[in-house]
Amino acid sequence: MNNVIRGISYFVLLVLIQVLILNNIHFLRLVTPFLYLYFIVKMPVGFTSARVTFLSFLLGLIIDIFSNTPGMHAAACTFAGFARPAIIKVLMGDELPDAISPSFKTFGYGGFFRYVIILVVLHHFTLFIVESLTLFDPLFLLIRIVGNVTATTLLICIVEAFNVEGQRND
Amino acid sequence: MRKLLDFLIGKRHWFLFIFLEFVSVALVYRTNAYQQSIMFSTANVITANIVSVTGSVTSYLNLREKNKDLLERNGRLEMELLRMKDMIEAMKADTAVFRAFVNDSARFFPYDFTTAKVINNSVSYLSNYITLNKGREDGILLDMGVVSESGVVGVVATVSDYYSVVLPLLNTKFKLSCKVLGSSHIGSLSWNGRYARYANLDELPRHVQFQIGDTIVTSGYSAVFPEGILVGFVSSFERQRDDNFNSLKVELATDFQRLSNVMVIRNFRQEKQWTIEREAQGDE
Repeated sequence: MNNVIRGISYFVLLVLIQVLILNNIHFLRLVTPFLYLYFIVKMPVGFTSARVTFLSFLLGLIIDIFSNTPGMHAAACTFAGFARPAIIKVLMGDELPDAISPSFKTFGYGGFFRYVIILVVLHHFTLFIVESLTLFDPLFLLIRIVGNVTATTLLICIVEAFNVEGQRND
Repeated sequence: MRKLLDFLIGKRHWFLFIFLEFVSVALVYRTNAYQQSIMFSTANVITANIVSVTGSVTSYLNLREKNKDLLERNGRLEMELLRMKDMIEAMKADTAVFRAFVNDSARFFPYDFTTAKVINNSVSYLSNYITLNKGREDGILLDMGVVSESGVVGVVATVSDYYSVVLPLLNTKFKLSCKVLGSSHIGSLSWNGRYARYANLDELPRHVQFQIGDTIVTSGYSAVFPEGILVGFVSSFERQRDDNFNSLKVELATDFQRLSNVMVIRNFRQEKQWTIEREAQGDE
């Protein structure tokens, strides 16, 4: 029960931060960090594939509604969520206990960083490819993906470093 | 049979994944059309109320500059008014029958406007949208033109009872018929998705004379905007592939990144113009 409440508050808090603050940031007119991915990052390892995929889709859809981009974030999040169990398996193996959430402590600094960056790359790649279905401009696309991946990954790692709640929990 | 079922249940996350991706892509394509549904946009009451929190905070940030802009514009308009008055006086004095000019002011002017506040705005996507705090209850209808104090902003694309979503110039789906001030040849203005300050004016015939810095205004052909509303200034140009047209890079007059108050223009003759245009097309 406690976990459910925690999950919901993560969800609401991250969506609010994203739509009220981060969606208004356009660094160099290119880069908008998508911190809301932190929710997908932090879901417990024991969640089944189907559950992670569905929650990710829900998260993406809600972000979409707030940024007037129906389907874009949903498609990207669904893909990231679907790929997540496989990424964890490849990076960390099968041996992890179900109850833990990915963090610096449980995955190690290098492991967590690699895990986040792969997840973010998958998400952003899908997001910008879906977006550029309307207008294709390879160089611009590449610049945006690289810029946004850097910003999002950094922000997620910073938030994780300051997230006392996550560290105490282990 | 049992094995098959086991297999299907074992792979159920694959089916879920494919299904959800399908839903997402369907949403993307369905809304690629010009108008959006109210449910999946910031035009609905719940989302609009939440995003307006940012709007109400950031609206205080640029007040000093906004005030300066408005004062400048006020001054310009006042000068124009004085010039017009002066002109009318001169004409009255010159003409024996001056009644014609005086009565002119009673002529029906087919445009009206409502002011609205921007509560949500994006410039970083390829398809950007702006949410306004006025909707059907305030007289906002689909396809009304939206301008800021400095120039054209966009067209109303979705309306709910209390909120509306605008398709701005900074959206790759938007095309606006424009001309160089002083000439009568029109071109089509569109955004290339890169910089929030620039758009391209294409299909402008090569013989149209213009210089860098010239003013680009609306053509008034679309029934959405009146003729002569400021769009931007020519910043550079190049020939298009087939050599008969110029493509102009236009610096937009509207700064979309700090947009906060806009005017929504209503054209009372829009319906009539469209009805008659459709009839003409139907006759062919």
